[in-house]
Order: sequence, then C-alpha cells, then structure tokens
Amino acid sequence: MSKMNKVDISVILASSIHESKNAVGNLMYQLQTLKSEFEGPSEQSDKINNIEEGLKQLNDEWVEYLYLFKLASDGYDLQTDSLQVSEFLDDQVFALSQSATAKDLSLDFECDESLMASFDERLLTSVMSTAIYNALRFAKKRIVLNAAIEDGYLVFKIEDDGAGFSHTEDEETNFLENNTGLGLYFAELSAQAHANNGKQGFIKKSESSTLKGACLSIYIPQ
Amino acid sequence: MAEFDFSNQRALLIEDMAEARILQKKMLTDFGFKQIELAMKAESAIELLRSNTYDVVLSDYNLGSGKDGQQLLEEVRHSNLIPNTSTYLMVTAETSIEMVMGAIEYQPDGYISKPFSQALLQRRLLKLIESKQKLYPVNEALDNKDFEQAIKEAADVVESHPFLESKCARIKGDCYLELEQYDNAIDLFQSALKERKMPWALFGLAKAHFFKGNYEEAESRFRQLMLDNRFFVNAYDWLAKCLVKQDKKKEAQTTLIDAVEKSPKAILRQIELGELSSDLGDFETAEMSFRRAVFLAKHSIYNSSSIYFQHLKSFIGIAKESELSGRQVENFKITLKKIQKLYGENPKIKSGAYEIEIELFLTQDKVNQAKSAHQMYKQDIELGLAVPETKRFKNKLEPLLGEQSEQDEQG
Repeated sequence: MSKMNKVDISVILASSIHESKNAVGNLMYQLQTLKSEFEGPSEQSDKINNIEEGLKQLNDEWVEYLYLFKLASDGYDLQTDSLQVSEFLDDQVFALSQSATAKDLSLDFECDESLMASFDERLLTSVMSTAIYNALRFAKKRIVLNAAIEDGYLVFKIEDDGAGFSHTEDEETNFLENNTGLGLYFAELSAQAHANNGKQGFIKKSESSTLKGACLSIYIPQ
Repeated sequence: MAEFDFSNQRALLIEDMAEARILQKKMLTDFGFKQIELAMKAESAIELLRSNTYDVVLSDYNLGSGKDGQQLLEEVRHSNLIPNTSTYLMVTAETSIEMVMGAIEYQPDGYISKPFSQALLQRRLLKLIESKQKLYPVNEALDNKDFEQAIKEAADVVESHPFLESKCARIKGDCYLELEQYDNAIDLFQSALKERKMPWALFGLAKAHFFKGNYEEAESRFRQLMLDNRFFVNAYDWLAKCLVKQDKKKEAQTTLIDAVEKSPKAILRQIELGELSSDLGDFETAEMSFRRAVFLAKHSIYNSSSIYFQHLKSFIGIAKESELSGRQVENFKITLKKIQKLYGENPKIKSGAYEIEIELFLTQDKVNQAKSAHQMYKQDIELGLAVPETKRFKNKLEPLLGEQSEQDEQG
C-alpha cells in the first residue's frame, strides 16, 4: 500500500490509544465510587485496590505512548516552566507510593528544597512514572529518586537495589523489543526534547553507587 | 502540608460528564466543602459566576459542544468575573493540554490530569491554596486594580518565599504593562530571560515593545514564540496587530487565518479577522469569520449587536462584486432573524436591521423588495417601534428607491 496509508495508521492508532485511555479513566472513576461505598471483607477490598493499581498503570502507560507518538512524529511542543524540584519529586512519590507499598517496596526522594529548575513538568511526570514502574519490577527493597544540578544540567536519578541494567537487558538490538527498552527510548526522546543554549538533554544508564542496582539518569540542560 | 478548613469555602464544579461530576462532587464534599454548585457547560457556569463569587473553581477542559474550559477561563478572566484571589483548577486530558498551555495570556492557577484520585485532587488543591494564601496581598491589589501596590506586595512575597520568584516576576511585569511603564517592563522581562527562555517573559517583552511602538522589535519576538511553540496562539494575535501597525494588512490577515485554524472557537479572534478582511475588501473571508462569531456570540459575554451587523454588512460587500448564492442569502436571513429576535425591542437596532436589509436589496437590484421593506420600516417608525431613518440612509439609499419620483407622478 502507499506511504500515505502508513502515516494514517499511526495517527489512527494514537487516537485509538486516546479513546482507550479515556475508557480506562472512566473505569477508574466507577471503581473509585464503588470503593468508597464498599463495606465487604478486607481481602475483597485488597482485590479492588489491585484492580485500581492495574488500571492506573494502564492509564499511565497509555499516556506514555501518547507522548511517545508525539515525540517520535515530531509533533510535541515543549511546555517548560520554572519549578521547585523537590515538590515535583514529592508528587512523583505520592502518585506511585500505593503501587510501591503493594509490592512491599520503599519509594523515597532526596533533593535540596531550594532547588528550582526549568523543565516540562507533564512530560517528565510521564518519564518518571515510566522509570518508576520499571524499577518496581526489579527492585528488591528500595527505590530512591533524586535530583541535583551537575555542570549546567538538572539531573534526575532513579535508583533501585535490583539486579541492575546489565543483567536485565543490555543488547542494543532488543532495545525496543521489551517494555524497559521502550521506556528508555521514551526517556531519551523526552530528554532530547529539552534544549537550552545549544545544549541538549540525554539519558545515562549505570549502576547505582548507593543501592547497587540500576541507576537511570536523565539530564535536562538548564 | 497544613490542614485547611474548606467548610466555609464555596466551590464551583464545571464538568459535562455525569460520572465524573458525581465523583468530583463527592470528593469536594469529603474535603469539607459545604457549598458546591454545579454547571454542566460553560454557558451556565458564566451565569453562576456573574451572580456569585467562588473560592475554588474546578473546571474540565472538555465541556461538550459549547465553549471549552479555556475559552470559559478567558472570558471570566477578561471580564473579571472571577477574582485573582480565587483558585482556578483546570482538569485536562493529554490531548487538550497543548491548547491550554498555549494560551499564555490567560492561564488557570493549576492543572490536574484526568483521571485523578481523591488524594491527588486534595493534594493539588491544598498546594494551590497554600500558594494563593502567600500571594493573597498581591492578588488583592490586582483585584483592586492597584498595580503599584501589587508590585510592592510581590516584592515582599519574594523576600519571604523565594520559590515564588518566577510567579511574582511575571505579575510585576504585567503590572508594569498595565501602568504603561514600558521601560520597567522591558528591564524586568529581559532580566527574567537572561536566566532562562521563559515563554511568558518573551511574550511580555514583545508586548512592551509593541506598546512602545517598536513594532519590528515586537514582531521578531512574537515570531520567535510561534517558532518555539505552535500552540502559542496569542502570539499570532499580537503578531497580526504588529503587522497592521506596520501597514502589512494582507500579511496580518494570513496570520489570523492561521490562528483561527488552530483555535476556531475564539470569538474575539474571529471578529478581528472579520474586521481586517472587510478592511481589505475580502468580504468572503469577512462573512465566514463573522458567521462564526455570530455562532460563538450566543451565551458569550462578548455578545453584542455589532457582531450581527458586521456579519450582515459583509454580504453587501460580496453582493457588490458577484451575485449571492442561495446559501449566502439564507445565511443573511438567519442572522437578520437573530438580530430581530435578540434585539427586536430596541428601536434603534430595529432601524439598523431594516436599513441593512434594504441596502442589500438595492445592491442586488431588487428594488421592489427594497421598497416593500421600506414601507414596513416606515410603519414601524410611525408606531414608535423603530427610530427615523439615519442621514446616511436618507442621502445615499432613499434616492435609489425611486419612491420620491413615484409620489411626484401620483401628485
């Protein structure tokens, strides 16, 4: 078929994802209403919580894919603002603390309270949640987020005490073939979308010096 | 985060989807709000905002077929229907956020993405209210239009809360613009830009240059904003203003056509494009813009008879060059009917409607129809339902009716 049809299908997929995301959102609303009226045994309310967790993750993934589509098709316009970084990290921990608790993991952040920096809050919220969901799969006990200024870059680090990158996936060839790979690609595109004074953002995979697991660093030029 | 007593706070919840509305209302009730009013669409929200003051407004961006949440916000901010001291929280979806963020001139205090949990809403709301409390003296001065005072208060706030610096700088810059202290504004926005290219600072700088009459300086910055982000539609509006000032009206029109494509629901932009197009003699475009404006005017605070008249006048412009199509004649009649329905009891407007109807008949060489319309017009004048003919009508249009000579023949 023609090239035109290929372009169209990606747009159609993106809009289908959007529809699905809305449907998930609607289910979450209904579940919240159900939850607030539920008075049954705790095992059942645990199950409701699990469903809620699952739906939230699904929603967050759809959001990631929507951003990914826009970034990859060159259609995303960055919305930077000057923000208090500790508050941003606090928001990320807050949003996923329930998911961490469900897996018996601790999720914390470290950041100087006075640190202000510029970045696209929504895009990086999606990047952080993608990275945290990933860390939730591999961490044994702990996940720590931190942020600091290094050499003109705001650096976000997502560290865990799991097996680290080298053991989970290292091959560049299967970079996009699994969830982690796609997530990293998304993080990379998002970092690159941030440019300031000729400097462009990037990501780095390494071993966590404190937790000995994986460490994903996201560099945002300031 | 400090505890906050919501029990004496009044909230307005604007959401078109029943499921979400019920749930959000429950959330607000759980936070302690005793007074919560609901609106299902922008139009009813405006009615409520006209007669009441709310401490918190929670509005969805998507509000069905009428105005969207951003247009609602622009209207209520523009007409001061909501004080600066209130907290305005917009509920957005990923697809709408670009449009919301792109409207740099009028922004809500905060955003929350759908779907959200009760805990997240509570957290967002508390954080916003906390920051609003710190900015209270600034916003109070803004509400009183005391911009000097607002600048002083903003400086004090930064002293005690350094992380509000960016917000306060923006407020100060806008106050300098209000006070027409353009050099101060330029200094402030420039120093903000030295740290980082913030869209609001570039936008403010461009506006200050515009008001100073440095149209080329302003133009290049508005163009930069458009390059940085396609969704900064306000930059298109201002670029068009710059171009008009530099007598590049055709270019200005092209710019506005671009902007209207991106955001077709903004009534002021449609009017602007309509006026500019009439000015250029492009009545087809003028007619289209005013037709949209007439459509959008319903339930809008910008609803005024002049929009309807401008729409009608554009048909006369078209008719001078070519015959009107059946559809165009139909559209003329629709708008004429709308004027009669909305303003029929105002004699002056009734006269205006008659005169424009007669003028269109004359332009189309339909003298008989023009004459019978004039007969009805005269009857209404006698009954006091319309005011006597304008000078323009008497001098320019009445002679074309050929009525005078008829009377002579009879006499």
